[in-house]
Amino acid sequence: MNFAEAERIYENSIKIIKLNQHEKGGFYASPPGTRYHFIYPRDHSVDILGAIAAGLLGEAKKALEFILNAQKPLGEFSQRYDVDGNDASYKDLQIDGNGLVLFAMGKYFDATTKSSTGAEDVDFVREQWDKVEKAVGFILMNKNEEVGLIHTINSIHEYPAYEHGFEIYANCACCAGILAAVRMGRSIGKKVDTWKVEAEKIKESIITRLYSSRRRSFIKCIRVKDRYSKPIGYDAFASVVIDVDVVEYSPAYFELISDYDIKIKSTVKRIHENLWDKEIGGLNRYPEYWGRNNGGYGPWCHFTCQLANHFVETNNMDMAKLYLGWVVDMAHEQLLPEHISTIERFELWLEDYTNARILRDSKMTMIQNVKSHPKWKDGLAYVTIPLIWPHAEYIRAYSNFKNKFLKGHFAVRGNTADLI
Amino acid sequence: MIRLKNILPKAFLIGIVDMVEISGVEKTCKWLNSIGIELAEIEGPGFEGAWEDDINYLPICPFGNELIDFANIYGQTPPQFTELIEHVNELKARSDRPWDYPALSCVLGILQNSYSTHRALLADAHIYNVGSKSAVNNIKVYNEEAIEKAGMTKDQVSRILDHGFCVYKVEYIKKE
Repeated sequence: MNFAEAERIYENSIKIIKLNQHEKGGFYASPPGTRYHFIYPRDHSVDILGAIAAGLLGEAKKALEFILNAQKPLGEFSQRYDVDGNDASYKDLQIDGNGLVLFAMGKYFDATTKSSTGAEDVDFVREQWDKVEKAVGFILMNKNEEVGLIHTINSIHEYPAYEHGFEIYANCACCAGILAAVRMGRSIGKKVDTWKVEAEKIKESIITRLYSSRRRSFIKCIRVKDRYSKPIGYDAFASVVIDVDVVEYSPAYFELISDYDIKIKSTVKRIHENLWDKEIGGLNRYPEYWGRNNGGYGPWCHFTCQLANHFVETNNMDMAKLYLGWVVDMAHEQLLPEHISTIERFELWLEDYTNARILRDSKMTMIQNVKSHPKWKDGLAYVTIPLIWPHAEYIRAYSNFKNKFLKGHFAVRGNTADLI
Repeated sequence: MIRLKNILPKAFLIGIVDMVEISGVEKTCKWLNSIGIELAEIEGPGFEGAWEDDINYLPICPFGNELIDFANIYGQTPPQFTELIEHVNELKARSDRPWDYPALSCVLGILQNSYSTHRALLADAHIYNVGSKSAVNNIKVYNEEAIEKAGMTKDQVSRILDHGFCVYKVEYIKKE
């Protein structure tokens, strides 16, 4: 692993986070004038986590104020917002956003209560409490009592074909979000015991219903079309998605169970065996045959960072170096893309989508950008660079890596650095 | 084609037909408008769809499948739907603010426009429905006064309608 470059990417990631926060508080998903110049609660929340890991608590608070003020009347956070906080979404409900906002707020709260300004941020929780209540209320409004899980139409991949139903990432995010709300509520004397009970029920259902003992892995989704199908066995979609998906790691990502838990370790093993890209390294998000590979099938930087963090947590330095080192090697001028493909796979995707007549006009700019990027000449398709999300995940993973493995063992020699 | 599971959208469309028969076009139109406003209040401020600078449009018709299904079942668009559209167009022709009216290519545009306009208003914005396209027969409809007010041309709107269904120009209301 190129440690000197890793450090430079870390420093640049902090700059990227700062530069891409609008004055009203929202983090752009990608810089203004590029592909994702809106504020997506999912990306935005992870950016807040990155800001917290980098010690940018002022920026994190401003970002939280932005997103909490943008909450919809029923308590939902939309798929995306404009810089003024107006709902600008074009997709169905993505309830993981509710969980993520609460989870990020909880992380901010934890970070500030450990600091000298802790009292002030208890005030922040007090100020925002009605928003927290509505956010939790909205999550629970979408809970199915039969299975004990939260129903959603979309989740992290915005791909209903595999995410419509009781999906693991959304459920873990929502469960962790409610637990964060419980923690914050208790700090200001609120009665939140019923939320705690509900969160524990969801957690229990994640562990029992979204885990396959025979496969020794968490699974992606219980596909059910309608939230209130009674019984769900008669729902038109009733089935399970057992394919490997990188977000099956979510129970540990959202700290519901330990990274050392055998269920997580065996899930991560399955993810690595099936999704580590044999040709160019890095982690793919799901199997190629799911067929939605915009810009060409290939590995994603932020998911690779997430799993790098797992290996840091479990003291597996070799694997942590493999994962984080791949991200370092793939960065272009210390910038991280959404994902990376090869020319061949890019062209395959283009052919598939063109033939099927599902290539949207909005993809044309992305196609031009990929082909005009300097990495194209190296045989690689860099899709959406920079994306802010992977920079936030990189900050989290690299700072944990550095704290665990490099403290007191870091030497820089000229332009290079290595462990000593 | 009809199952109890998916009966509601069709029931609503038949309800519109019956409402025109029972109460007349004026009241039905007001009823559709008020439903849109009520739903907008629940959903809150904002916009739905894709953007091209300050143009907001719907890449797919939200009611397309239902309307095509309905037209297939009944063999034609019910005359009550046409009466409602004509009624709104008459109101527009008589108004001194014709740009505030929708460019209607289907009856549900009345509901959609009141919902979208009210959500925009909650976001301190005014929207002009410069054009729309029918999901049933692909016919494009324009509001020429709204196009002029929006500083656009019919060609510009038409180009967006080539890949969209309902086009709005968005203007934020300047507060004193």
